[in-house]
Amino acid sequence: MLKINNSTFGLSYIILSKMIAGMIILTILSVLVIHSSDGFTQVGLGYLSQRWFPAQAEYGVLSLLYGSFMVTFLALLFAVPFGVCAAIALSEYLSTSYRLIVKSIVELMSGIPSIIYGLIGIVFVSQWVKDIFNLSFGRTLFTASILLSIMIIPTLISLCDDVFRQIPNDFRETAQGLGLTKFEVIFESLLPIAFPQIVGVVLLALGRAIGETMAIMLVIGGIDKIPVPFTNVFVPGQTITSKLGREISESSIGSLHFSVLVSLGLILMIVVLLLTFLTYKVFDIHERVHE
Amino acid sequence: MNRRELFDRLFKGCTFMALSLSIGVLVAIVFFIALKGISSVNLNFLLSKTQDFGAQGGIFYQICGSLLIVFFAGLFCFPIAIGAALCNSEWIRNKKAKRFASTLIYALNGVPSIVFGIFGLIFFVNYCGMGISWLAGSLVLSFMILPTIMVSSYNAMNNIPQMYRDSALALGLNSWQVITAVILPQSYLGMLSGLFIGLARAIGETAPIMFVATAFSGVMIPTSFWEPVSTLPTHILALSQEAINPLALENAWGTAWVLICIVFSFSLISLWVRIKINTGIIK
Amino acid sequence: MKTRIFITFTLLVLLLLTSCGKPKQVLRISGSTTVLPVISKAAEIFQLSHPNVIITVNAGGSGVGFNQVANKTVQIGMMSREISKQEISKFSELKFTTHTVGRDAVACVVSSEVYSANITSLSLEQIKNIYNGSVKNWIEYGGPDRQILVIDKEHTRGTRHVFMKAVLGNKKAEAAGADLVLGSNNEEQTALAQSDSAIGMLSFAWVNSDVRGVAIVSETSKIEPTKKNVIDGLYPISRNLNLVTFEKPKALVREFIDFIKSENGQQIIVECGYVKN
Repeated sequence: MLKINNSTFGLSYIILSKMIAGMIILTILSVLVIHSSDGFTQVGLGYLSQRWFPAQAEYGVLSLLYGSFMVTFLALLFAVPFGVCAAIALSEYLSTSYRLIVKSIVELMSGIPSIIYGLIGIVFVSQWVKDIFNLSFGRTLFTASILLSIMIIPTLISLCDDVFRQIPNDFRETAQGLGLTKFEVIFESLLPIAFPQIVGVVLLALGRAIGETMAIMLVIGGIDKIPVPFTNVFVPGQTITSKLGREISESSIGSLHFSVLVSLGLILMIVVLLLTFLTYKVFDIHERVHE
Repeated sequence: MNRRELFDRLFKGCTFMALSLSIGVLVAIVFFIALKGISSVNLNFLLSKTQDFGAQGGIFYQICGSLLIVFFAGLFCFPIAIGAALCNSEWIRNKKAKRFASTLIYALNGVPSIVFGIFGLIFFVNYCGMGISWLAGSLVLSFMILPTIMVSSYNAMNNIPQMYRDSALALGLNSWQVITAVILPQSYLGMLSGLFIGLARAIGETAPIMFVATAFSGVMIPTSFWEPVSTLPTHILALSQEAINPLALENAWGTAWVLICIVFSFSLISLWVRIKINTGIIK
Repeated sequence: MKTRIFITFTLLVLLLLTSCGKPKQVLRISGSTTVLPVISKAAEIFQLSHPNVIITVNAGGSGVGFNQVANKTVQIGMMSREISKQEISKFSELKFTTHTVGRDAVACVVSSEVYSANITSLSLEQIKNIYNGSVKNWIEYGGPDRQILVIDKEHTRGTRHVFMKAVLGNKKAEAAGADLVLGSNNEEQTALAQSDSAIGMLSFAWVNSDVRGVAIVSETSKIEPTKKNVIDGLYPISRNLNLVTFEKPKALVREFIDFIKSENGQQIIVECGYVKN
């Protein structure tokens, strides 16, 4: 590469930009850490309770963690089989001309803003869930997970398609040469090779799903309780992101309530960062940053 | 038909069904919004201000607010993203340093949008004393889309054959001139593509700007940097809370349709740019 | 060439922005969704006679309104309740002034299907039992055999403070029987109308044909949530609609508050369904 040492303007511009870009994430982290220290030190083990009641200084976050986990888990449960199968269809079965069109459509769809899913959730999905499952209200953990699964399917399809496309054709040709049907080629040969990468993609989608706020906030019902029995998802609940979205402006900056909320944001961010690093370092998935 | 062939056909059918279902649902959502939204969108809707909690009137100031915030977000982060990409592709030679730098950028890309909102609230609205202003919103959004533009530009720059640089140096250009004369012109399509994808994402975001830059009513085109604006996504949020009022709901669909149109326009422009890049390479 | 076009365009936009008249004065208001319709309308009228002023209004609830005044993010906070002792103690060095601009009642509302099935009045005791979870089905009070959907509000909302004080005796009380926790008056109204067995708390000006307010029954009387009963002071769950400012308001803030308290301003209060001061 080039040695830029005889143009001071150029050099300083480039280095300055790089430093600013790198500093941003560090700034965000430090701001969050500073403002959540109160929460961690003063509430401490109080985090590990189910009762979230700021007016009485109770800040138990277990119901939030449960909500986030359950909604994301269910969303992935619905979306991953669909996403992987669809990606297989896209990469293995479709001819090139169709492939381009379909792939472009998928990428276009992944750009639909999340608030629109929220609107559809309130107006339609919650009513359908209420009618189909005969509940008294449609704003439940289940509704949120359905919306979330629809939201992450385009990402899954796109990335899995990339994974399959990266497998060299030799594998397919050898297997076909041995007389295997297309299904067997995919199932016995390609899937095992692609499996670690697909796990990486799923983790990436998990990171995205956990951070989703708007659509979930509107349809989840806002109740800070873990359902009894804990597998019952047809009741309202609360996730970390939904709680943040609703209560951040309600607390004043500098108060303990605010500090606890910021600490939740910090926890969320660290979880997502860990997942991102995991997928880059271990699984070597490079997300196309434009999704 | 023997068993193996049966499985083969079945599997093929299943995958196609999965594909059609997934795409079908998404396309259905867009078509539905189009259906409901087009009837509410007319020239009056686009050009008049909101009245009566959004149940009447139009979304003119929301459109202005959205475009303003997003335009400046792009403006702020474009130079920084390009500079950072240049740094990575032209200056840093140490592989480890490169990896470290990329890691920071990818980390930024993964931060959830609500965390950006909280950061913006604490840092811009409070520390920097900007109050709830559109400038704060623009800055937060520019942080959000920085990685997108940077990675896209970096990929474009990386694809330039070393020969171009060597020829330029051989002709006597100094390294900064090589950048301005060779690298930038050759990679500007990649930069544009990244820019438009970033803009498409930024204009649809609600969480980062919801308590940093927006107000519910009373806003017009801001006359200074420190005023809040109203944007399309936050307007949809407000209207969705009145979903039982049919007038408000109609306007919600109209607003959603306008938003989707803008987002898709940006995405399509970026797609077109990418196709141009690809066909350029093949030639 | 392209860069030149781009730079000119940006400069034009910036020029446009900064030249839209002199920088106007901005009055920022936020808070209760009960007071919001009044202030929004008043702001529109006020801006007609004061073209140099921009008034931005935001929702968020009474708690948010107070917090933002305390943080100096807004100049006026709308609250549909009084400032609580806790809030005052949090900002003990600061002084706030409360300006009452109207009165309102909090109705206990039920979905229209429940209302037409004979639940037209409830006692405070009965409402208390529903909200703390002891009673779960409308049939126990003579209504249809359906599970009660108990809708609660976010804890800092003014409507909730007032309602809980009257029903559970403590404005910060926990509602153990709550099934949904919502935010603004609009959201609650939507959820009540979407369901056919819900109960909730709303400002009485938001009651309509889908969302009916029940009369409060006590040993001696049965009081409907009507305007007359609120004006006469008979309806038991009522509150002041307040605007809160930091210390004593000056200049523009003072002008706007005076406008709301004037004849014209009070007319807006009445038009929105509330009661004059």
